[in-house]
Amino acid sequence: MADRDLTMGPREGITYPIKVQYCGNCSMPIEYCEYYPEYDKCKQWLEKNLPTEFEKVKIDEEENAGGEEEKKRQKRGGKGMLKSKKKEDVPKLVQVSRAPRGKKKSVTVVSGLSTFDIDLKVAAKFFGTKFACGSSVTGDDEIVIQGDVKDDLFDIIPEKWPEIDEDSIEDLGDQKR
Amino acid sequence: MFKKFDEKESISGVQQLKSSVQKGIRARLLELYPHLENYIDQVLPKKDTFRIVKCHDHIEIVVNSAGELLFFRQREGPWMPTLRLLHKYPFFLPMQQVDKGAIRFVLSGANIMCPGLTSAGARMSDAPRAQVVAVMAEGKQHALAVGLTALSTEDIAKVNKGVGIENCHYLNDGLWQMKPVK
Repeated sequence: MADRDLTMGPREGITYPIKVQYCGNCSMPIEYCEYYPEYDKCKQWLEKNLPTEFEKVKIDEEENAGGEEEKKRQKRGGKGMLKSKKKEDVPKLVQVSRAPRGKKKSVTVVSGLSTFDIDLKVAAKFFGTKFACGSSVTGDDEIVIQGDVKDDLFDIIPEKWPEIDEDSIEDLGDQKR
Repeated sequence: MFKKFDEKESISGVQQLKSSVQKGIRARLLELYPHLENYIDQVLPKKDTFRIVKCHDHIEIVVNSAGELLFFRQREGPWMPTLRLLHKYPFFLPMQQVDKGAIRFVLSGANIMCPGLTSAGARMSDAPRAQVVAVMAEGKQHALAVGLTALSTEDIAKVNKGVGIENCHYLNDGLWQMKPVK
């Protein structure tokens, strides 16, 4: 690797675009995982998702084990140490409730979908087409569906997004707007 | 450039581009990166309408119709590829390799200092001043940053002090974290 070819231009025998494996934990190419503050988590991810790559990393590490480099490095904080971003662990929960709209009509408020990394705009559109009604993103993590469709949501949300369990949908009942 | 970049706060608007402007950008890209010629149709298909995302600090990002981030620039500077694009087509930028010790600093957004480019583990390919370069690392296969040379490589070797490459975009910065734009 020391004598890397630094010249420009496409290499022969390689088809572009190259597919690079990215780590699911730190999103960087796998070879850079070791510089991520939560390297352990990266390793866990690797072990689970890409066992072959994990083996390679492990072998590399064993070769370097007890290497001088690790000892020489000063283990102080300060500059050059990446800080891990704090991820807020919000409980994954979808909340649905009904709110009155005028005298005899009501709307359904769905919140918490973004804790499952769901694109709210897409979700709103989906609800709109599904129930043939108006549906819009109204807040940071809130969708308002026009009409009372709360009961249907319990079936449709887990069906559309299998990662959401029916138990993780909470019914807040009727709420004031 | 993207150290404090946040997808929610820093974007001020997305714009559909006129086809004449698109042509202009394509021509400009080819002028900047002649090696891209055979691949430009893959990167920016002629039929594709790409968009521009305007951000704070006069940063503009070119986005294709699928929402993938492709190139960015600040003010009227040169267009620079995002790392995700560069990983796919690593050949069209001149590469500079830094030594192992520099990696963690680069990954936290530091500019690349001359000693990191001249020591044993590092290698340089000739580049003039203010050239867009890919920053590679010793023992690693993929690029870890995109930068602008602050000095020509000749001067870097001569002076061997201070900033050599200005770090514009690095792994895990705001731009890297940004999700495809809808």
